[in-house]
Amino acid sequence: MTPARIAILIAFAGVLVAVAAAARPAPAGPEERVERIVAELRCPVCQGLSVADSPSVSAREMRDLVVQRVAEGRTDEAIREEFRRSYGDWVFLAPPTQGAGTLMWLLPIALVAAGAGLAWGRARSRAEAAEHDPAPADVQALRARVAREEAADL
Amino acid sequence: MSIGWADIGAGALRAALLFALGGIVAAAFAARYRDVRGLRSARWCALVAFALVVLADAAMIGALVTHDFRLAYVAGNNARETPLFYSVISLWAALEGSILLWTLVLAGATTFVAWRGTRALPRLATTALGILFAMLAFFLLLVTTPAADPFVASPFVPENGRGPNPLLQNNPLMALHPPLLYLGYVLFSVPFAYAIASLILGEGGDRWLVATRRYALVSWALLGSGIVAGAWWSYAVLGWGGYWAWDPVENAAIMPWLTATAYLHSVMVEEKRRLLRTWNLALVIATFALTILGTFLTRSGIVNSVHAFSLSAIGPLLLGYLVAILVVSCGLMLWRSRELADHGSLGAPLSREAIFLFQNVLFVAATVTVLLGTLYPLIAEALGGVQLSIGAPYFDRVQVPIGLALLFLMGVGPQLPWHGASRATLERQFAAPALAAAAGAALALGSGMRGAAPVLTYALAAFVAATVVQEVVRGVRARRVLHGEPAAHALAALFRRSGRRYGGYVVHLGIALIAVAIAASQAGAVEVERTLSPGGAMRVGQHEIRLDALSEVQEPQRRRVIADLWVAGPGGETRLSPSFAFYPNATQPVGSPGISAGPADDVYAILAAYDARGKAWATIRVRVIPLVSWLWVGGLVIGVGAVIAALPPPRRREVHLPAIAAEAAAGAE
Amino acid sequence: MTTPNVAASRRFTLTGRTANLLVIAVLVGLIVVLALGFRRDPRDIRTAVVGKEAPAFRLERLEGTGTVALEELRGKVVVVNFFASWCVPCREEHPALVRAWERYRTSDVVLVGILFQDSVESGRDFVRRLGGTWPTVVDDRGRTALGFGVFGPPETFFIGRDGVIEGRHIGPIDEDTLVRGIETLRRKPS
Repeated sequence: MTPARIAILIAFAGVLVAVAAAARPAPAGPEERVERIVAELRCPVCQGLSVADSPSVSAREMRDLVVQRVAEGRTDEAIREEFRRSYGDWVFLAPPTQGAGTLMWLLPIALVAAGAGLAWGRARSRAEAAEHDPAPADVQALRARVAREEAADL
Repeated sequence: MSIGWADIGAGALRAALLFALGGIVAAAFAARYRDVRGLRSARWCALVAFALVVLADAAMIGALVTHDFRLAYVAGNNARETPLFYSVISLWAALEGSILLWTLVLAGATTFVAWRGTRALPRLATTALGILFAMLAFFLLLVTTPAADPFVASPFVPENGRGPNPLLQNNPLMALHPPLLYLGYVLFSVPFAYAIASLILGEGGDRWLVATRRYALVSWALLGSGIVAGAWWSYAVLGWGGYWAWDPVENAAIMPWLTATAYLHSVMVEEKRRLLRTWNLALVIATFALTILGTFLTRSGIVNSVHAFSLSAIGPLLLGYLVAILVVSCGLMLWRSRELADHGSLGAPLSREAIFLFQNVLFVAATVTVLLGTLYPLIAEALGGVQLSIGAPYFDRVQVPIGLALLFLMGVGPQLPWHGASRATLERQFAAPALAAAAGAALALGSGMRGAAPVLTYALAAFVAATVVQEVVRGVRARRVLHGEPAAHALAALFRRSGRRYGGYVVHLGIALIAVAIAASQAGAVEVERTLSPGGAMRVGQHEIRLDALSEVQEPQRRRVIADLWVAGPGGETRLSPSFAFYPNATQPVGSPGISAGPADDVYAILAAYDARGKAWATIRVRVIPLVSWLWVGGLVIGVGAVIAALPPPRRREVHLPAIAAEAAAGAE
Repeated sequence: MTTPNVAASRRFTLTGRTANLLVIAVLVGLIVVLALGFRRDPRDIRTAVVGKEAPAFRLERLEGTGTVALEELRGKVVVVNFFASWCVPCREEHPALVRAWERYRTSDVVLVGILFQDSVESGRDFVRRLGGTWPTVVDDRGRTALGFGVFGPPETFFIGRDGVIEGRHIGPIDEDTLVRGIETLRRKPS
């Protein structure tokens, strides 16, 4: 094993460990729960801002209500349901993870997968690449043709 | 009756429309019959039309500056108290004026192509010129129909106008952001026009692409600067402590930027390997169509939220324009599909061209997701009659993984040779950047960053930065060995001679800075809200904030309530004055944040509420946002990189091979 | 000679015609959705609360003379109007409310004004200047407005005798709309 390969492997492992360490889920205390809920609630008077981001009075009132409900011991789903009852699904900034909303979550994955598959299909092994590239002489001929065409223009 | 600003402006636009129509005929004649007289007429048509549009814009500015409320636009967007500066920039404060500005930029671009562009590749350029004239004619038609006529008279002449939208007269950044965006949007018409011209002429080659490479780059850079300036404006004005909300207006700007970024990379594949012809055409068409779609979305009023402006009659016209563009482009591409076939095939999956292709896939996926997210409420309502919202939680969750993957490819791509790489090459190229990535991850953990995405962002940004440094160091070393130049000289020569490549690396560095800024400011912001009496203090992170006084100031166009704050932190002491401004025409006050920007973090203070009667208390919300100023610095670095990449390199032959240069000069005689 | 082609076809590929059809279908769909968008008014938010039981409230009167509770109005037709002194359209619609109140005050119809995001002093001032003798109450930290799904004042809700929200009007209301809404509910058997 070359030193370069060892360095790459160690660095890769280091990044993985760091990311894993940072990704440990923090304990979901009441404050984190409030933040999680208000980040997905739409502020009724803003242009698409969430309750977490909006400085408006309405957003503050909604946040206060969430804080109170969390303190009362209601579940996240029950709190969301309360807002859904008065504002409908309109009040949530992310599509639901069931029903028609699933499509919105799957589409990006499908797009990337299909695109990467197509790109992979077009790429070939190095051996094939060498076989199929135009010979240097052909490239020369092509360049000459392009130059002729450009000179002949208009 | 005396002649007013409206008569001048409206007359100029109608005359300009005639010259634009004349230009279409002249350019078509010149292209079809290879006639120099036709080209000469087309040039003059462009110049005269441009001059007339300048006159119309000047007339509008004149009307705004002199508060001529006989014009509906002035009455609706200006008041006697509006300061001169804001009167001038009110030109683009509302729909009709912004389309007038758009027309001005398009007329300028048409004129530039007519006089400069047609010097090289005259037939292609003249055909493209005809297409630009057609686009210009459309916009002139738009500003002369009642739907978007900026010079319509007021139904009655009011004593005073309504004044500009308070949010738009609160910050000078408003002067910068829309024109930059429009310049970016409109300049992309040039690559599009050349692409269509190339399809019409059936060229099949990449001459259109080489001829418009610089337009595309400049358009991309302006669009990017416009987006960053818009984010900055949002941060400095809107008072929520953020800079990006995935609002339909923002999405409309980011979509063409994403496809343009994909295009700037995939053109290299066509230039170097003569591949991806159809793909590049599709990207140019998509980018241009997205600029129109974005204008349509934000101007027609179909995707705004509750308290939006009224529906505009301009919507159907813009939609018709979009349909025409798509039909013509797709029709031409189908017609010429035989000429567009690629010869040869792509390199191995670990070659530079393959990485470009994967990168393109990610950019297109990002664009489609933004488009779908923006339109999803519309689709849901059309199909199921349900009202839904899509906002930051959705876009963040989808775009962050795509962004991280792009960051990774941004480090990998430039390190790989064309065609494919051997295992030894890979190891040599990636040892140092991989170690840098590990250091970046460690740094993120050490600075208290939590969450997988921010730590990974730090790691990947360090990875990208290391690849850039490695490339530059190798380039300098190579020049020193080859030419014996001193290091500084070699560095300068590198950027001057291979500006496209090294400018691109500088852009990558700017993107890495922005990625770090986004990660840190999203994950590391701390917010505290307290109700204070004068003299009271609060603590946020390492900063102490004290409310010294609450005062009221009457200005000509507004009344302001200002909280006088004293802030002390690791960077020293400073004063901030977040405020509420009350405008006569607005029902709700407009809050302005007080921002103390620093390299490590920004202190962002807003006045959330206050005691209107006795000024005895104020509720202050303070957000300490790490590294957010790196965003603007990153934007600047990208701009510098784009300039380096766009500057034409010095003519090599004269410097390196004097004999050949002399020969060429002799041959040209 | 044909080996590379065979290898390529085994991979994931998309033939030209399929790709063309796919792109055209997507573009046509896009245009159709955009065109359908014209039929939609972005300000017309269909409300989730209509057809549901009105959220209960017990709120302090603006004048400080006791409270008003929705339960106590069961059996009557209730019109709930959210207003604020800083809201210009509220001032516009106020005369219509006054006229409707004069018409129904002695019947089985109750109009309740709820002050939205405003100080009690400003609210009192508003009522004193513009008139109106129907019960007005002060919302408690926006709780009632949130329960009704209010976006911003003025908003008017029509509640039947059974306590179910039967109608909603966003923006300034006129006398005709008020009377029509009230009469529909009065005719409805409880």
